[in-house]
Amino acid sequence: MKASNQSRKIIISIMIGSLLLLSFKVYENQEKPYNLKYPAYFGGRFTIPEDNPLTRDGVHLGRMLFYETKLSKTNQFSCSSCHQQKLAFTDGKPFSEGIDGSVTKRSTMSLANLLWVKNFFWDGRSNSLEAQAIVPLTDPHEMGQSLSESASKLEKTSNYPELFKKAFGSSEIFGDKIVKALAQFERILISSDSPYDQYLNGTYIPTEQELRGMNLFMAGPQPQNNIRGANCGHCHGTPKLFKELFHNNGLDTIPKDVGRMEFTGQEIDRGRFRVPTLRNIALTSPYMHDGRFKTLQQVLDHYNEHIQQSETLSPFIAEATNQVGGKSLLLLEDEKQDIISFLHMLTDSTFISNPDFSNPHLKGIKP
Amino acid sequence: MFMKKIFYSTRMFIISLLMASAGLMAQTTNKPFFTVEGEVLKPLKLTVEDLLNLKQTEIKAKDREAKEHIYKGVRLIDILDSAGVTLGKELRGENLAKYILIKAVDGYEVIFSLPEVDPEFTGQTIILAYQVDGNPLPKGEGPFRIVAPNDKRPARWIRELTTIKVVFSKE
Repeated sequence: MKASNQSRKIIISIMIGSLLLLSFKVYENQEKPYNLKYPAYFGGRFTIPEDNPLTRDGVHLGRMLFYETKLSKTNQFSCSSCHQQKLAFTDGKPFSEGIDGSVTKRSTMSLANLLWVKNFFWDGRSNSLEAQAIVPLTDPHEMGQSLSESASKLEKTSNYPELFKKAFGSSEIFGDKIVKALAQFERILISSDSPYDQYLNGTYIPTEQELRGMNLFMAGPQPQNNIRGANCGHCHGTPKLFKELFHNNGLDTIPKDVGRMEFTGQEIDRGRFRVPTLRNIALTSPYMHDGRFKTLQQVLDHYNEHIQQSETLSPFIAEATNQVGGKSLLLLEDEKQDIISFLHMLTDSTFISNPDFSNPHLKGIKP
Repeated sequence: MFMKKIFYSTRMFIISLLMASAGLMAQTTNKPFFTVEGEVLKPLKLTVEDLLNLKQTEIKAKDREAKEHIYKGVRLIDILDSAGVTLGKELRGENLAKYILIKAVDGYEVIFSLPEVDPEFTGQTIILAYQVDGNPLPKGEGPFRIVAPNDKRPARWIRELTTIKVVFSKE
């Protein structure tokens, strides 16, 4: 009886102790939350997982890991090998080389305003940044290293155990902490200081050509009402310059890459790909999931003159025309140039030079 | 032991993420269908054939080009009713804070409130159409779409509908 009373006391004190510890831990994390700043016109429709709140230490660790070559099997590749800040976190190539010299199946996507994205990759197969990060880290043709190998490599360093302790309360390193930290860093990659943003904030006056381009970009054509438009905004509209949509944009009648269908197994998704953001689009050539277009001119030519018919072609592309009864978009050459000049308004030089997003290992911080 | 723990925790993490993201993959079928889910007593997965077993409704409505068509389908209220949604007498109190989130295959989403489709509240008839002027809805539009004739702009006439979800506002 006495013994059991004593053990009960011990159990109770352990419980109280762990509760105290737990609240301390939570308190510690809440002490340094990361304050997200974004314009009101982006809206608040995003979700940060409850088990991975943004903290300053978490974001810092994520940034260190984003530029960490130890996360690759050969110690030569980091996320930043393909996602370079100066190119709005792309690499300028149609396909990217991984550790084994082979190339990725699809073109590297820009990392801007991912906080508002729900379904990642060109086919939308990952529904969180945490899940997304695992793929390039562990794919044998990309960084090629299991998360547990990455964790044990980092444990052997002098600095990472402490960084993990600050970010997650314990210096033990696990794969899930690696991807959580990376996700935290990616969530703060917000691009909102382009001339277009300045225009929205009333601090930049667009040229006449930019203004014409903006109007054409956003408007759906209504030839019966004499309204000309390129209908880009139907999918790339709102100040975020993308909507969470998947469309077949008429690249091929029989697509070599079936896109979203590979993930859903549904015929209706054949040739559908994510609608990517057009922020910093002038920096992220080449274009499309396979990088087939080198220039914005080629992209405009595609949407205007070279749409390929198929069962799953987006009706919003098929139906858009600037002539009553027209079969294609029928923009004039000058109008295309106007739109291209608007697209250049989306280049955010603050984003690509923000020191908070840059390689921390280059600043004398020992890896 | 320690390494094992790392391995186990990482593995469980990956498995759970993969399961979450691969949820859709299992849903392969030859016949197109849509689902009714969320705050319902009986989740449904319905094909055009299944719709034929419900009460049929035809309405005249003008499309984006102001051309009048006859749309045939099932009233949204009848579909929701067969899934056991709080309508009619039950549409009171906290149930008035529910909304209908409708999704298309491309990811497009629109919402209606429950009173917008309930005849005890509104004179408008919103249908889930599968035919227009006697023909199946064309590609890019069907097999299922919403027709809401009172909307001046048909932006909620959502095409290629895949999911109807009744959701409680969590605000």
